[in-house]
Amino acid sequence: MPSGTARGVYEERMAEIRGSFESSGDGLQAAAARSALVDELVMQFWEQQLAANPKLGKGVAICAIGGFGRGQLFPYSDVDLMFSVEKDAQKLAKESIRSVSQSLWDCGLQLSFVARPPGECERLDAANPEFSLALLDLRWLGGDQDVFARLREKCVAKLRARDGKALGMELAKLTSERHAKFGDTLFHLEPNIKDCPGGLRDANVCQWLVGLRTGKNPQGVGDAAASSPSSEEFQEAVAFLAAVRCFLHYRHERDDNVLDWQAQDAAAKHRIGLQGSGRGSVDAAYWMRAYFRHARVIEKCLLREAEGAGLEVETPSTVRRIRVPEQAGFQIKAGVLELSETSGSGVDAAYEPDIVLAAFRAMAESGARLSQSSEERIANAIPRLSSNLEEGPGLWRQLSAILTGQRAGHALRAMHALGVLELILPEFHGIDALVIRDAYHRYTVDEHTFVLIDTLHGLKADPKKDVRKEVEEWRVKFGAILAELQNPGLLYLAAVLHDTGKGRVSENHAAESARLAQSVLSRLEMDGYDGGVVLRLIETHLEMSAAMRRDIFDAETVRAFVGKVQTHESLRMLTLFTYADIAAVHPDALTPWKAENLWRLYIAAANQLDRNVDEVRVHTRVSGGALGGWRKDEKITRVLSLVPGKEAAMEQFLEGFPERYVSTRSAETMRQHFEMTQRFAEDPFQMTFQHGATQSGSVSEITLVTQDRPRLFAGMAAALAAWGMNVVTADAFANQAGVVVDTFRFTDSFKTLELNESERDRFLSSVRDLVAGRASVEKLLSGRRRAKRRPPRVAAETKIEFDETASSHSTLLQVIAQDIPGLLRAISATLSERGYNVEVALVDTEGETAIDVFYLTTGGKRLTPAQEAELHQGLMEAIEANSR
Amino acid sequence: MQKIEAIIQPSKLDAVKDALVEAGISGITIFEARGHGRQKGHTEFYRGREYAVDLLPKVKLELVVSDEMKDKAIEAIISVARTGRIGDGKIFVSRIDEAIRIRNDERGEIAL
Repeated sequence: MPSGTARGVYEERMAEIRGSFESSGDGLQAAAARSALVDELVMQFWEQQLAANPKLGKGVAICAIGGFGRGQLFPYSDVDLMFSVEKDAQKLAKESIRSVSQSLWDCGLQLSFVARPPGECERLDAANPEFSLALLDLRWLGGDQDVFARLREKCVAKLRARDGKALGMELAKLTSERHAKFGDTLFHLEPNIKDCPGGLRDANVCQWLVGLRTGKNPQGVGDAAASSPSSEEFQEAVAFLAAVRCFLHYRHERDDNVLDWQAQDAAAKHRIGLQGSGRGSVDAAYWMRAYFRHARVIEKCLLREAEGAGLEVETPSTVRRIRVPEQAGFQIKAGVLELSETSGSGVDAAYEPDIVLAAFRAMAESGARLSQSSEERIANAIPRLSSNLEEGPGLWRQLSAILTGQRAGHALRAMHALGVLELILPEFHGIDALVIRDAYHRYTVDEHTFVLIDTLHGLKADPKKDVRKEVEEWRVKFGAILAELQNPGLLYLAAVLHDTGKGRVSENHAAESARLAQSVLSRLEMDGYDGGVVLRLIETHLEMSAAMRRDIFDAETVRAFVGKVQTHESLRMLTLFTYADIAAVHPDALTPWKAENLWRLYIAAANQLDRNVDEVRVHTRVSGGALGGWRKDEKITRVLSLVPGKEAAMEQFLEGFPERYVSTRSAETMRQHFEMTQRFAEDPFQMTFQHGATQSGSVSEITLVTQDRPRLFAGMAAALAAWGMNVVTADAFANQAGVVVDTFRFTDSFKTLELNESERDRFLSSVRDLVAGRASVEKLLSGRRRAKRRPPRVAAETKIEFDETASSHSTLLQVIAQDIPGLLRAISATLSERGYNVEVALVDTEGETAIDVFYLTTGGKRLTPAQEAELHQGLMEAIEANSR
Repeated sequence: MQKIEAIIQPSKLDAVKDALVEAGISGITIFEARGHGRQKGHTEFYRGREYAVDLLPKVKLELVVSDEMKDKAIEAIISVARTGRIGDGKIFVSRIDEAIRIRNDERGEIAL
């Protein structure tokens, strides 16, 4: 038949296959039908050659390899054809092979053909391993059966036997490289359904691995998972992807396998790949979740087969050796974590939340992965885990330990895939495999979250050689901020929750995420300060990106931004968060240019942050609105609603506090402070104490609410120093009526309060006596134990600055010095000895540097230049004396 | 044909893009740039540490327009990028001899 006629017949039959696909939606059937059609076509052209030259009947076998060999040709896929030709038949066959190839091209097929003697197929072709892999799908189409038998039974069998291991390794390497191109994740907004992790190519890899393991060609997709209980879901996944690939080929009219947004809409509209009796279109987000579910199954199957073959198909990463206690309920061997069959209490360790969470913590610390059997047991144990899981501070400690592990992203992905993350944080479910369409993001919302967490941890990693120098320099610079965080777990928790609001219908996802986070924080029973940090970070997580779109050198832009972050710790966290959030959008999103702008905004904001606190005060009744009526700040309205019947007294309490007080305290905390003022008649020194010694390095908090009097702040600082407490942050605010709220957050250097619970009462009573002037500071300090001081890792020079412009009525004093226990006491004692009044105090620690800011007055006025000079001298001497 | 290169404040980018589109110009190439003219660098202090700000962030736009569109494009850029302060940026104009659309080999203004 002339090829022109053949083309017509081919196109006619292809149209029938398309029609059949459009009515049945069966992609595998369509691919098989096209493969059978091409079989016919190839043999038809070969028969014509044979008729013209009967000698071709000997020495030439026509074989299908690759996808064609598997009998799966998608509508626009290439056709891989091999002519296995004995050496003595090469000359004779040359022209006929050329003619067959030409005819196939003329029919419109994208043909890749190769002619080789059988003997050349028995060794791994190191320069072209893909060819050797394609031979694993060898299928006879026609020609000399003896040649084919020799090729299959001797040559390819030899290849499998001798080079099977090397083939497996090549396959793993190619797969790993391919996955790396897609950022090692299947969660792309517009995935390539053939080459992405979890795509059809991975399904083929599964089949090849099974073939290499069993020594035979897998026949059909089911074979890849035949030994697994999940074979049915694997087959379903392959059938789904096959349907999608057919659909994409017909839609794009070429071998284009990218599932772009328009294609997602169309696929959802036509329910491509979906089983069941449902009719009509489905939502694109729902359809994409089905896609990701199937892709996960294939990825899981691939990892299982690779693990069975001892191969690594993910980007290699070092598994860090960690110590696992004998009674932990799991062990790590060769980078694989295996849960014990029975725990100490005799039940399956997978049923014990403490063991399972400790196992994920170990994964986060080491990078080890869960064994397949442990994964299956945890997945099956979810209902039992759910009923055994206890919420509260214990759960937060475990979650925080996972989040702060260097490979937290890896552990969180495993938790998410098994449903454990949703068990702890059901709020995360709404963003599971969620596609939000915008021009910037590359990953689904959940994966974006994990990449963000990976990026944050990457800030601490060793320098990388394969990254551009200027990108690397910025990474190191921002990494230094991460090292200064007092409680990095809070940043990571905010990172996990920051986009959960995208799973709900809301115009402001940041506010919605913060709303969802509130219930998480209350379930974890997180203390008010830490909870406030997390909520503020979630609420403001877009503010720094927004400020970067304005003129960051404009003082007003910086001032407005600072008004939203309020504290140095929040600024540090928001800066790091913004860095990681941009980097997690796609691999090239964080340019050195953007990193530099972010850094500049950070510096400008840090410099601005403490400069006008004394000036901006709360006025509970604010004039505003189009009608000139009275408008209350939303937070103040919330506080007032907590004290029904006492609104006027509460308004009086809040009047005149710096706005920093209102913006850094929760409504509930302000209510507590107000209630404390109501008890002044019983005790004028109201205190709250929250002991934080539940985990190493944790921070305790003490708050004093009382009427302002001299030496209050200095007395508190001295009491804490005398007890060996190291102040991490502190602030002191006063309202118009002279009520002060002093809050100190400190670590317990000698573990005095942790090891001796009875000492807590004595500690509080001692603090009370000191601030009330009933005990002598000097006497207490004389009995103070001095800790043996390690030399600082980073030496900080003492710097003292005064600023007359920050406030209209007070002098700003900033002291930067080495953070040494007793420093705050030394400074505040120097101030009180001179009778200077601390209007506002803001005490902060950055790594080993203390940055303390005070707004001072004397006799209701600013300090004079002579007073400043004298105070400068006095402070230098006091700080020097404390450091000895 | 004329090539217009404009160095502007990053915060003005969106407004300049909108103004150019409004003027009927949509083909713009944008570069993230750093530099300084008279604005010069300066040293900032950050909590006791010195930090040199040698080069300032800028955005560079490149567009090629027909001769008659040149003034319209320049006007559009100036109208929104000018604040009157040092650092607003500069516009450079140069003549272009040829433009070729790679896809179909169209040449001259039609290729713009």
